[in-house]
Amino acid sequence: MRRVSRFHARGSRRVEVLREVSLEIDAGELVAVWGLRRSGRSTLLAVAAGVDPPDAGEVLFEGADLNARGTTALGNGVGYCRPIAGRPGGRSVIENVCAGLLARGVPPLDAQSRAQRALERVGVEPCSELASGELDAAETMRVAIACALVFGPRLLVIDEPTKGVDLLDRDEIILLLRSLANSGIAVLVSDGDGSGLSDADRSLALAGGVLRGKTSPELGTVVPLARAAGRITAA
Amino acid sequence: METVEWETDRYVQAESDYSFALMGGTEARRERSLPMRSAVNWTVLGLVIERSSYGFELWKRYEREYGDMAPTVGGSNIYAALNVLKDKGLIEERVETRRAPDGTARLRKSHYRATQEGLVAYEGWVIAQAREHDRRSRQFARQLGAFERQPQIALAILERYGRACLDDKDARIPTTVKFPTPVTPGLGDQLASAYGREVKAATLGWIEYARRKFEALASKETPLP
Repeated sequence: MRRVSRFHARGSRRVEVLREVSLEIDAGELVAVWGLRRSGRSTLLAVAAGVDPPDAGEVLFEGADLNARGTTALGNGVGYCRPIAGRPGGRSVIENVCAGLLARGVPPLDAQSRAQRALERVGVEPCSELASGELDAAETMRVAIACALVFGPRLLVIDEPTKGVDLLDRDEIILLLRSLANSGIAVLVSDGDGSGLSDADRSLALAGGVLRGKTSPELGTVVPLARAAGRITAA
Repeated sequence: METVEWETDRYVQAESDYSFALMGGTEARRERSLPMRSAVNWTVLGLVIERSSYGFELWKRYEREYGDMAPTVGGSNIYAALNVLKDKGLIEERVETRRAPDGTARLRKSHYRATQEGLVAYEGWVIAQAREHDRRSRQFARQLGAFERQPQIALAILERYGRACLDDKDARIPTTVKFPTPVTPGLGDQLASAYGREVKAATLGWIEYARRKFEALASKETPLP
């Protein structure tokens, strides 16, 4: 994200939610953005995932402008999840995870197999035949992550992954996010209660539209070393 | 087969009587009643309460569990702490004797466990520590109020404090370490991590509150002539 600004209308007032915010995330990084309620943390994530367009600035994914690509980034390298309370009854978990794939024309057997693998990856494979409304908050979040994982995202944006999750289950969710980042996915999460900050590579704070903390990766570009005249020098 | 004998150990009792006699009796009683101030001693007592054990194992556990937050100690400090705790009646020592593998000698190893008195004392110390921590946090918050007329200084402090808080990695969720030796996180590790996370979120919230207060003051500030 480069110098992104975003405004919300509150009645007749226009509130600046993001003020020239810049943020860069590398593959394999877990980045957490902390903020109080109404700080704009969800807006930041929706803009980062290309769900909402910025009013100013640009959002780039692998060098391409997300907004220029319209909605195609979602499911094409970018995954986005936010907590949605399960409705009573409804489709089964596996049907929910398959739905996105089927909508994109993936053959049913292939979709079923990919959905099963994603559910195993997030640790809710035993729940695959349950109705979505039967899941608790932690399982619902895991299934939401599985819905994004079936598309093989390289950037996963998750709004409040521990919201509503039982205190003792939060660590497991965070460890899952850590393992996804370790597998090479760039993971961006928002956090309102502090639990998301625990295993992040970088923690940032959003307040008054300003993002504080390290907004770019800590490690610089790896410069390959070459041996020259018996001394190690940068290539 | 190796045999392990537990002794109600006359040797330990004799050693204790000996040091009591050396200190002249009344001095030993006075030593026992003096308040224990050393954080190392209290930490070692906590380790013995967590799991009764031997001096060397307690030392290694001290290094693993408190190496990053308590004073650095050597093995001799642990044995000194164990002696103080024993003199105060907070732990008791039992000597385990084993036959050497060749059967020629008897090897002695001291094993320590907490007494009821030790448990009660430790409970009191932990509560006192929590109160002290709370008092110091409020003291820091109050001291920042000294910059009411220099809000820019307070804002600079808050900026640095906020960055330190965001960069702090101590609240990571403990996981099993496989190298160099397998270590599975204990309950204490999990509690410390969860505490760190909750404090971090609360601290960030407080920093934001303080920042807004000082920003409001800074906006009213009139430049010096």
